[in-house]
Amino acid sequence: MNTEWKRRDFLYRSLVGVGGLALMDTLNAATAANPLAARQPHHTAKAKSCIFLTMLGGVAQMDTFDPKPALEKFDNTTLDWTNEKRTDQPELYTKPRLILKSPWKFAKYGQCGMDVSELLPHLATCVDDLAFVKTITGENGNHPAATFLMNTGLVLPGRPSVGSWVTYGLGTENQSLPGFVVLPDFRALPFSGSQQWGPGFLPASYQGTMMQWKGEPIHDLKPHGNLSDRDKLDQMDLLRAYNHAYLDGNFTNPDLQGRIDAYELAYRMQTEVPSVLNLDRETEATRRMYGIGDETTRSFGTRCLMARQLVEKGVRFVQLYTPSQSWDSHTDILKGHAKNAREVDLPIAGLIKDLKQRGLFDSTLIVWMGEFGRTPDHPADVRDKAGRDHNTKAMTMFFAGGGVKPGVAVGATDDLGWKAVDKIYRMRDVHATILHLMGLNDMRLSHYHAGRQMRLTDTGGEVIRGVVA
Amino acid sequence: MLRAILIAAAAVAAPATAATQATETAAVYREKIEPVLKAHCAGCHTGPQAQAGLSVASLADLMKGGKRGPALQPGKSSHSLLMQFVRGERNPRMPVGGKPLPETVITSIAAAIDSMAPVLQTSAPGKDHVSWVFKPPVEPKVPQPRNTAWVRNPIDAFVLARLEARGFSPAPAASPRALLRRLYFDLIGLPPTEQETRDFLNNSSPDAYEKLVDRLLEDRRYGERWARHWLDLVRFAESDGFAIDGERPTAWRYRDYVIRAFNNDKPYDEFVLEQLAGDEMQRRPAVRGGNIENEGLLALGFLRMGPWERDTNFDAQLRLDWLNEMAGTTSQVFLGLTAGCARCHDHKYDPIPQKDFYRLQAFFAATRIEERPMPHLDVEGRLEMRRLQRHWEDQLETANHAVKALDKELKAKLTAGGKKEDELLKFINDKQSPVFTADERASHKQAAEHAAKAALELARYQPIAYSVNEVAPPAVMDIEPTYVLGGGERLARGEKVEPGFLKAITGNSDPAAIAFPGRYRSGRRKALAEWIVSPANPLTARVMANRIWQHHFGEGIVRTPSDFGLNGDRPSHPELLDWLALRFVDKKWSIKAMHRLMLTSNTYRQSTRHPEAAKIGEADPENRLLSRMNWLRLEPEALRDSMLMLSGGLNPQAGGPGMFFGVKDEIAQGFQMFKWYASAEQEQQRRSVYAFQRRSLPMPLMEVFDAANMSESCARRSVTTVSPQALTLLNGEFTAAQAGRFAGRVAELAGPEPARQIAKAFSLTLQREPKPAELEKAQGLYNGRQPREALARLGTVLFNLNEFLYLE
Repeated sequence: MNTEWKRRDFLYRSLVGVGGLALMDTLNAATAANPLAARQPHHTAKAKSCIFLTMLGGVAQMDTFDPKPALEKFDNTTLDWTNEKRTDQPELYTKPRLILKSPWKFAKYGQCGMDVSELLPHLATCVDDLAFVKTITGENGNHPAATFLMNTGLVLPGRPSVGSWVTYGLGTENQSLPGFVVLPDFRALPFSGSQQWGPGFLPASYQGTMMQWKGEPIHDLKPHGNLSDRDKLDQMDLLRAYNHAYLDGNFTNPDLQGRIDAYELAYRMQTEVPSVLNLDRETEATRRMYGIGDETTRSFGTRCLMARQLVEKGVRFVQLYTPSQSWDSHTDILKGHAKNAREVDLPIAGLIKDLKQRGLFDSTLIVWMGEFGRTPDHPADVRDKAGRDHNTKAMTMFFAGGGVKPGVAVGATDDLGWKAVDKIYRMRDVHATILHLMGLNDMRLSHYHAGRQMRLTDTGGEVIRGVVA
Repeated sequence: MLRAILIAAAAVAAPATAATQATETAAVYREKIEPVLKAHCAGCHTGPQAQAGLSVASLADLMKGGKRGPALQPGKSSHSLLMQFVRGERNPRMPVGGKPLPETVITSIAAAIDSMAPVLQTSAPGKDHVSWVFKPPVEPKVPQPRNTAWVRNPIDAFVLARLEARGFSPAPAASPRALLRRLYFDLIGLPPTEQETRDFLNNSSPDAYEKLVDRLLEDRRYGERWARHWLDLVRFAESDGFAIDGERPTAWRYRDYVIRAFNNDKPYDEFVLEQLAGDEMQRRPAVRGGNIENEGLLALGFLRMGPWERDTNFDAQLRLDWLNEMAGTTSQVFLGLTAGCARCHDHKYDPIPQKDFYRLQAFFAATRIEERPMPHLDVEGRLEMRRLQRHWEDQLETANHAVKALDKELKAKLTAGGKKEDELLKFINDKQSPVFTADERASHKQAAEHAAKAALELARYQPIAYSVNEVAPPAVMDIEPTYVLGGGERLARGEKVEPGFLKAITGNSDPAAIAFPGRYRSGRRKALAEWIVSPANPLTARVMANRIWQHHFGEGIVRTPSDFGLNGDRPSHPELLDWLALRFVDKKWSIKAMHRLMLTSNTYRQSTRHPEAAKIGEADPENRLLSRMNWLRLEPEALRDSMLMLSGGLNPQAGGPGMFFGVKDEIAQGFQMFKWYASAEQEQQRRSVYAFQRRSLPMPLMEVFDAANMSESCARRSVTTVSPQALTLLNGEFTAAQAGRFAGRVAELAGPEPARQIAKAFSLTLQREPKPAELEKAQGLYNGRQPREALARLGTVLFNLNEFLYLE
């Protein structure tokens, strides 16, 4: 390519911008040349990558990290709810309900003496590295709306998810891999599928790229049909030659070069992705840490290991999902929660320990949460197979890794674990905290859309200071 | 790495140039102009009492100007009012009452102004913009540019005048080939055939181009192309979204309504009236010269297109969400205003108080969702629809019968084994249980699936309109009252409001006058629709004219097409937009007339290249002055449809229920709440506008190439360039299939000779011959490959070319 063209091209790119719109935020200009180029954070932060472990369905806080002895006392009794507004799921409270004590025993773990139930024996060994918040509240008790709220800050579809926002704010370190990777469980995709990690009104560069843990990690990474290496090479060679020739005289269109670059990246990805995501390269000991040999833990464990391999190579944001509604134990919580806990407990503990032994823990932020918590009681008619219902008034979550204050628990719920009462936080506060720990200010991270500057936290969230080191 | 550094360097260098210019301008002003003004003008032209509203206190004040307009235009002394007044070219000569300034001083100021770097002026900011937006367009004076030969119609006069004022000339005309491709993709979303290409390129008659415009506007495929733009805007989808994402089996009838509206050039005012109040409109022919049929109930689908959570405990909240969504979308789509921002508080930028949002919302207070019986129209193929309905009724009955028979058989087996009949499902689903064999389980599943699929199909052919209805007296005592809601919260009821039009436009907050509409009707939506299309409305015609312009030129005159407010973009050519809006109304709201006007202008026929592009680009990097044509990229619909056409597989079937494209198994099976049955292959090869629009499962090619996301109104798609696009288009199954078929077609048309095959492949895809170097390079593919195989590789490359994807 001639140098004059190149000079003009870059001049154009820096002037024109991708959106070409009135550039109200400086990011638009910065993202114009290469939307995924790594960018300076708003403030210094330890975490460079984030792994978001999404427990779909909603984990019961009083059966995992928020022990409530009062439940023992009131087990199998009916509470008088008349003084409480049950706006959450009103139809639940039209029928008699019974309190359910936790089927699992709690003990104190670690130097910090954190309460953990026997449901999560492996995570229990990591509590000195975790920072719990026991008082996350939601807005809507339906799975899809609550999942949207958790991912995008709004109960409706159409907004960018937190992974898209972070990638929009920071770009990504590795230009041969996507910046935001999603690792769902194909047994049941999250409600609304890719809308949960869509770019919303942000440019498509910031959408999550779905990867699979079995077979081809990315769709169409390899050519369809039986193309030989020579076929691939010849095609790329010809495409490159024709596209370069077409640049001549057409410098008023900077996208022509952009698209040539995109093909080069795609071509690199074809070799880079399989080499990054190579489980065979890991030692047997490492594989065992993640539970890859065990049928129960294989799916989540493999994806946890993939997440480590991806952040190791500079991917900005990785989000894992359990199957849709997997934790949703309205009935038979004994069986349901036990199964789900077994699937994720060992892999997550393995991930934390592995990140630590590789020196990646301090540069990786781990977030663990579901879309809401669960109730201390259940409908009386299912006593023999009791479970817990949706609860937007309290949920326990944890942060770990870069910039997180380890071994703490923030906030308190009432005696039953039903409602947050001290240091109550909303989803947007979780988002503000994630952004803060990644070096971004939630008020400054904005994008002009539909008449105004849009933000992940809308009018702003409160950073949960108690978990920040 | 090298690239990254270069980008960084360029990014730093370019703004620095602009900043340097600004500093220089300021310095020139301080040295050469400010002292003169302070001495001779500041007495009258400063402070709150500044004469004629003009302050000379600062450069910014001068550029802002006073009553008569900007006093100083950097780079243009002769255009600057300041100079015209001090020279006595305008009355009174300034300084008024004093001695004229010495000639040397005047020359020195003029030279100083001319030395300033010109600033690209769009229309005025702030208050002036508001007064423009909310006042009806006034017939502008068509400018008289010097180069009259270039002016084919007034559009060119407006564009050229701005260019000449900056000392720029327009780009030369695009080559006939570029123009041909541009026009075909613009109007029908498909490339010209070889014959059509030859006909046009060999046609030397002076009106060959105009004739082609006319012909393409009459092509049925025009509606299929332009309806898509409107469907983006109205967040069209055929499923509810959210958890269940249930199917809206007859939503396709709205899509076909829009296609018909464009093809028949339905006047835009009527199009608006029908979508807001189609239930109250007069019956008119759905097709020119066709039977009188009322499409109004179908058009009302507009109000239903938003996402919708059917399974909910929050009826009251759901209804409020729906009302808000409807009011907000109506405002964006027809008025180009983001009134939805005023739901929780007064609009932060535009003069839309919170109360006005609820006055707008009140027009919908009597509206309820309803699936209304509505026989298929003749144009929808009434008889064929009835036949298919019967066909699927039969299929369903047969399938249900089979399910029953099988159930009976299986239940007999259960009871024989001492189990209860009602435990059938339990044992069928329990793979561990030995009660049923794998075969029995499979046939049970298959029978159930047949029935489920038949039920799905049947629903799509029911004579139902996905529509709304009114709940008004005497059905109820009174229409549901509307309140201003504090912070938009349902329970925070404030003042009760009546339906009313935006105060920013009407100048008052009076309730709308609504004629007595008759029993069971509120007449409210009709009143709103009539106000929207009335000549008194300053926005409707401008907003739609701007949308049409945007699709032809790649950018609107206002680049935020659904936000004409203060926070939106300023128009690049406000007078032109006003002129277009007035012509739109003159021409009885004919969209096709607007196409003709824009497409036959010389502005549209310019090349994307300009001999002085680099120089002009520095002053006008975003090409707002249209010194050349903008580059346009094919939308994924046009891309996919073109590949189908080139491979010879495009199925031209128009209208009717959508087709279900093939989906990878692991994705199709990941959805719990619905089943996705891919259509037969030939059905799948219909144009993209006929693809079933499921919110949670967009077609991968559409998703990756920036199609609208279906959850909210999309006025302007983003155009991103990302690697997954390359993977999908280079490696995907769709490309492989089309490239394979394309190879067969080319071999058949061109014969066995490689050079001829290559020439044919180029001619079909790019409407040109290969250059010698291209030919030679492509011939390399034939080494060690069967010709078909070589052609499939070549086809794949051609489908991925920049030259294929971009319109010059």
